[in-house]
Amino acid sequence: MNAGAIELDDVSKFYGDVLGVNRVHLSIPTGVTSLVGPNGSGKTTLMNLITGLIRPTRGQVRVLGLSPAKHPDILRKIGYCTQFDAFPKGLTGYQFVYWFLRLHGFPRAEANALTRQALERTGMREAADRHVASYSKGMRQRVKLAQAIAHNPSVLVLDEPLNGLDPMARAETIALFREWAGEGRFVLVSSHILHEVDRISDQVILLSHGYVVAEGQIQGVRSEVKDHPIQVLVRCDQPGLLASRLFEQDHVVEARIHEDGKGLLIRTRDADRLYLLLNRVVLELGLEVESVAPADEDVNSVYQYLIGAEGGTA
Amino acid sequence: MNTSDLWLRQAAAILRLEIKKSFLARRGWWIYLLALGPVGICGLHSLVSARSTRMHHTLNEDYHVYAGIFQFFYLRLGIFFGCVGIFSNLFRGEVLEKTLHYYFLAPVRREVLALSKYLAGLAAAIFFFAGSVALAWLLIGAHFGPGWREFLLGNGLAQLGWYTLTAVLACLGYGAVFLVMGLVSRNPMLPAALVMVWEGINAFLPSFLQRFSVIFYLKSLSPVEVPVTGGLAILAVASDPAPAWLAISGLLAVSGLVLYVAARQARTMEISYSE
Amino acid sequence: MAVYKKTYRRYEGPLTPERQRFLVIPRYAFEEMRRSRFLNLFFLASFIWPLICALVIYLHHNLSALKLLNLDADKLIRIDAGFFLTYLGIQSMGAFFLAAFVGPGQVSPDLANNALPLYLARPFSRSEYVLGKMLVLVTLLSLMTWVPGLLLFALQGYLEGASWMAANLRIAAGLFFGAWIWILVLSLLALALSAWVKWRPAAGGLLFGVFFVAAGFGGAINGILRTRWGNLLNISHLIGSVWVSLFEEPMRRGAGAVFFRVARGEEIPIWCCWAALLGVCLICLFLLGRKIRGVEVVR
Repeated sequence: MNAGAIELDDVSKFYGDVLGVNRVHLSIPTGVTSLVGPNGSGKTTLMNLITGLIRPTRGQVRVLGLSPAKHPDILRKIGYCTQFDAFPKGLTGYQFVYWFLRLHGFPRAEANALTRQALERTGMREAADRHVASYSKGMRQRVKLAQAIAHNPSVLVLDEPLNGLDPMARAETIALFREWAGEGRFVLVSSHILHEVDRISDQVILLSHGYVVAEGQIQGVRSEVKDHPIQVLVRCDQPGLLASRLFEQDHVVEARIHEDGKGLLIRTRDADRLYLLLNRVVLELGLEVESVAPADEDVNSVYQYLIGAEGGTA
Repeated sequence: MNTSDLWLRQAAAILRLEIKKSFLARRGWWIYLLALGPVGICGLHSLVSARSTRMHHTLNEDYHVYAGIFQFFYLRLGIFFGCVGIFSNLFRGEVLEKTLHYYFLAPVRREVLALSKYLAGLAAAIFFFAGSVALAWLLIGAHFGPGWREFLLGNGLAQLGWYTLTAVLACLGYGAVFLVMGLVSRNPMLPAALVMVWEGINAFLPSFLQRFSVIFYLKSLSPVEVPVTGGLAILAVASDPAPAWLAISGLLAVSGLVLYVAARQARTMEISYSE
Repeated sequence: MAVYKKTYRRYEGPLTPERQRFLVIPRYAFEEMRRSRFLNLFFLASFIWPLICALVIYLHHNLSALKLLNLDADKLIRIDAGFFLTYLGIQSMGAFFLAAFVGPGQVSPDLANNALPLYLARPFSRSEYVLGKMLVLVTLLSLMTWVPGLLLFALQGYLEGASWMAANLRIAAGLFFGAWIWILVLSLLALALSAWVKWRPAAGGLLFGVFFVAAGFGGAINGILRTRWGNLLNISHLIGSVWVSLFEEPMRRGAGAVFFRVARGEEIPIWCCWAALLGVCLICLFLLGRKIRGVEVVR
């Protein structure tokens, strides 16, 4: 097993007769990895397994080479912002972060400094001395984030971390995720907001009914979905002309002129052949091409193709 | 930092956090009432008797009444229910409030966590109940003035010591039992009700079975014996009290054993907040 | 066409009449209880004692059986107010345990899951909510206490003759009203504690606490202050006194019901017992009034 990654080897978790996740094999690299799936697909179960809050019924979970359920020391390197909107009673935001740092064994001065740093990073410095009970939903979410990052973990697990945040805070938080990922940390995020997943993820893991449906970089996952033709949007000056040439090709399923008349949406079963053909046709016809971009190489499309209506809400 | 230092530091942090969260919190009002109730009555008694021109009772009578209250109120009800409230809540209460994961996500050995939480509960229980036992004892006879001081300097202090020690051991024993129940059972009240019945019928059990209870050893340590009276006295089975050394070491051993079970249970506990 | 017109159609079926709307609560509560094996067994077990009592009454009147067992009917047991008081005492203690298990599950889960606004956002008042929840307990506890009690009374009357029935109507009234007082106090206590303590087991524990600890505390007051007024805190004493007055006044013979004993010489005036029970009910109603609301202030 790779001692520098998050590894799940044939992991299953059952809650009595209810399936949490089944036969999961995953190796999660550094960077931002998004867990995507409908409610009840097993996202939180997977996160709880990785952080040792629950134990697998079968298989092994290893984080940086150690099992979190058996080696509490590995928890020094893990920060988990859970979906539970609950806090120990009677504590201020500052005390909440500070006391759990003391539980890590940090001496007073260091815990103080780390608490201030974490609250600063999440924009909670000003409200730190207020009781958590008086916080708004967004503030509670941010103080939870502060608590999860305060000890500088190298593995960050974040269950719906953008919930309740206003657009400004969302943008800042996403930037923070990118920053952590850039520092070579593991950032595992679950989110319902697919276009944001697109923006932040280096790779995605799609879950449905407790099974991993797909994993990897989104382009790679998309190219594996063979039964759905790939969509490419070509912005050019003569989309009608281009369409007439493309219709001759057997791998082109559909070519539709964009609503503004300045683009062509092409659906093809063979993207490589399409790109080669485009090069040739553009030169032959002397078209002015503004851009050629995949139109469904995003989490939303992949989600729709792989999970679709059966998944309900993401 | 070596491991034992780390554990100590973590234990101290848990202890302080627990005390910060729960000590003198509003929701514990009924525990404070349980502990302070007898103190209030004893204080009132002392006040009324001190102002009365004629004393209708003796110091000895007062301390016999106290012995009854210690056995039938403090041990069987006050400390018992107080410990149910304090100790079964240590883990189960956190599950209910969906906050236990914060502890489980800290790099603390679960055994250290269970023990530290127990110590925090014990500190609160001893503060309230052993404090109440001692305070009520001091107050009940205070109105006798010089006679009381004489009694205090005689064997009174020893009596007070035994009562306090018994209360501490009661918190220790019941605390360990209810800590385990809070870890094992989703509804600790069912096993607590069973323990209550078992402890309640202790005097009517065969001598051999009486020894399998906490109350038997606590009764053995109480400095003044209180016989079962009333219609049920005929059913009571007289049993030799356990010697003090056996009662104390027995209670400590049983508490230790139960704590070991609690630590094992905490080690394998998973977060599941669904009812 | 607007989207909602395509997808949404207002419910046009029959509505539950307004006066019966509170019955929705017990309907679902009973359904949920039916799924608990423990409660089913406990409820069934609660009929063992009435069956034993019925057997005793039958034996009492079956001369051949008595001859066969070589027993004297009156020496076996007297079927009088004391017999029915004992019956009521035992059943009422069973009812107490049932209320401690069922009662806390009534309001606390709704509060813990913020479900109260869902009830109260509908044409459903706070009092209907409390009434509905109370009906669950009242029905169960009635089936355990006065219903079998009156059946036993009818059996005894049938075997003994109409004159016995006429002469002992006070027992029937005592069974009915005595059980109702206990049921009302118990239901209100269970609901009030369930509304104040969100954790279901803790609410059950607190009911035990109120019953046993308050009695113990009352005993402590009696012991230290050399008084009888501590009994005002002892619910079993209060109920026992009321029962004795309902069953046996003006000629008191026994010491009240089992578990609800009123020791001679420790009685407090009966009006004080009534007033204390009324006080308990009013406090419970006050607590329910404070907690059963569509909004909750979180501190």
